[in-house]
Amino acid sequence: MSHVLNVIGAQFPDVHTTLATREEEAFGIAAGLYLGGARPTVMLQSSGLGNSLNALTSLLIPYQIPVLIVISMRGDEGEWNAAQVPMGRAIRPILDSMGIPHLTSDTADATADVVRLVGQTAFATRLPGACLLSRRLTAPPKVTT
Amino acid sequence: MTRLEASRALVAALGDEPIVASLGHPAYDLFAAGDRRANFYTWGSMGLASSLGLGLALARPALRVFVVDGDGSLLMNLGSLATIASTKPPNLVLIVWDNEEYGTTGGQATATAHGADLDAAARAMGIHATVTVRTEEGLRAAIVRARVDAGPWVIVAKVQESAPAVKPPLDCVFIKQRFMAAIGSAEPATRGTHQ
Repeated sequence: MSHVLNVIGAQFPDVHTTLATREEEAFGIAAGLYLGGARPTVMLQSSGLGNSLNALTSLLIPYQIPVLIVISMRGDEGEWNAAQVPMGRAIRPILDSMGIPHLTSDTADATADVVRLVGQTAFATRLPGACLLSRRLTAPPKVTT
Repeated sequence: MTRLEASRALVAALGDEPIVASLGHPAYDLFAAGDRRANFYTWGSMGLASSLGLGLALARPALRVFVVDGDGSLLMNLGSLATIASTKPPNLVLIVWDNEEYGTTGGQATATAHGADLDAAARAMGIHATVTVRTEEGLRAAIVRARVDAGPWVIVAKVQESAPAVKPPLDCVFIKQRFMAAIGSAEPATRGTHQ
């Protein structure tokens, strides 16, 4: 995710980024941006979905405020930190239980299409949608022989 | 001054500026002070009114965005003061109705009843345009300044709980669509605009 932020900062001056102090706050800011006519994206690590649930379930979903959510996965294959695993395993059932659609990208080639499709669907249907970027994509394991 | 009296003073002092209201009693009193199309009443997401206002202020620099928050709600999201200070939207006015209690949930004392100072917290985070008011005259004078002088503003208004008698009979999506139309960012129809 830091790489994505660096590229946006260096190559896409028309994309404005704001760093929040926690993920729930980012969803609140994104909702305000949408009310003002912008098309916001919230980027977070999977561990941050846990403290975003009240914003999603009592603001974005009932008010039909769409946001593109890009989630950098932790706790999936290749993880080294046991504390990341429980939310990594739970994140898809949590999104499903809230009715938030999600697609996973495992490869760089597929990522642009996944992000575009989820974003188009979110803003067309006024429902937040999530792209999950797997650890195989964001932190490819070193192959040992 | 009660929060309802303060809410009436705010509405009377404004034109058509947007007001984002924290859930529960701040939203109910804003409605009781006179419903406006440019009022965004939240029904949940405690703590996020200031974040909503920040996002709106960043998206629409030509709008002067007002937020009515509660002391308990802002205490849930103090990091918002840091983000407001670092992004410095000059057009954001955060008003905190500080009644020193969780009024919507039964009147339990908040930290401000024990000396926590949200004006000082805002200053400590780097927000320079702050003021604490205790009277309607003081509130009106602060709003007059905050409507025109560069912010971001934090106005801490010490108020008494006013036990609202009525809730806005308005659904979430209606509130959103009416609000967006009122501020010039009306949502297009969902059908027929795609493909």
